[in-house]
Amino acid sequence: MKNLLIRMLVFVALLSVTGCERDEICLEEISPKLIIRFYDDKNPTLPKQVINLQVHIEGIDGEYTNETIKTLTDSIALPVLVTANTTRYTLTLLGNEQQGTEDDPDQFEIQYTMEDEFISRSCGYRTLYYGVEATLQEDGSNWIKSLVTAKTPQDITDEKTAHVKIYH
Amino acid sequence: MSRYIISCLLCLLGPVMIAQSLKKEKDTTSYRDRYGVRVGLDLFLPVYSLFSEDTKGLEIVGDYRVSKRFYIAAELGYRDHTRKEDFFEFTTSGQYIKAGVDYNAYQNWIGMENMIVAGLRYGFSTFSQEVNEYTINSDPFLPERTMSDPLSYDSLNASWVEFVLGIKVEVLHNVFMGFSFRGSTMISSKEPDNFKNLYVPGFERVYYNDFGFSFNYTLSYLIPFYKK
Repeated sequence: MKNLLIRMLVFVALLSVTGCERDEICLEEISPKLIIRFYDDKNPTLPKQVINLQVHIEGIDGEYTNETIKTLTDSIALPVLVTANTTRYTLTLLGNEQQGTEDDPDQFEIQYTMEDEFISRSCGYRTLYYGVEATLQEDGSNWIKSLVTAKTPQDITDEKTAHVKIYH
Repeated sequence: MSRYIISCLLCLLGPVMIAQSLKKEKDTTSYRDRYGVRVGLDLFLPVYSLFSEDTKGLEIVGDYRVSKRFYIAAELGYRDHTRKEDFFEFTTSGQYIKAGVDYNAYQNWIGMENMIVAGLRYGFSTFSQEVNEYTINSDPFLPERTMSDPLSYDSLNASWVEFVLGIKVEVLHNVFMGFSFRGSTMISSKEPDNFKNLYVPGFERVYYNDFGFSFNYTLSYLIPFYKK
């Protein structure tokens, strides 16, 4: 009987040591992206779609250099740098040979302060952006007529509504 | 043929039955159970600490027999536990106490004192958390930011209820070896600002729905007080 109990003990011991642990994957919302919505320059309440838009983030090579938005859309979501208080974007409206238009790059930047927020074991921390200010760089021939934050002050804490409006 | 076999079996069993009934008549001395306090140490933690830098700890266990089947039981311990997650690393250190009852569900043969334990505990722990490092990443293609200034959260506490299943076996005279497996659920937890109690000493890892699992291997010594 004592023998059996000892065997049971060893068995249960082995069972508990070999149990698995990593059961969580990150499903929560991480750092929010900058949501930009495009509106008609002449009728500011009317969303106006864009196509053939190329996005570049200053200092980043790769995905956001050559990725082009090829479908008609009136809003885009762009990641924001967590390593600096300023992120500079270049939105290039690609030219069309048939229509005789050329590429038109327009640059703007957003400035913000960051606050880190703990989410969960699997996701760790995310950052939220507060006091966001957006400024358009004039280059004489902007396709972006004006650019404003949706609210003042503007915070980027979720991806539910647009943070920046672009009129073109 | 079969009748022959059965007869043989009966003949063979006969003396055994007689012997048993004789034994019963002879056995007039009544056996008295031993009552006393049993103290011991968790063996897993010290051994585990030898192989892992991440966890240091100690647990003292004890129980006191109050009736034939019931024991008052308690555990006392401390932990210093570091864990690396995908995006951060944290250290929890603190102490805990668990107190409650054990029920011996095992019907012992005369003279044996083994246990199959079903028990209940109330656990309480005071501890501190420290986030040693964390990394934030807003997009896979953008650079990540690592913060390596530790964030400290002191004077935290938690309490929980724990269900115990285990065994205790007397391996030498008065010396018991035991194993117990515990499932616990949190009652209260004083959470730090902007962090979570992902580990609580005694409770161990806090799972998603505030559940926890823990176990111990104990070596304990019985100090008998009286017989009843």
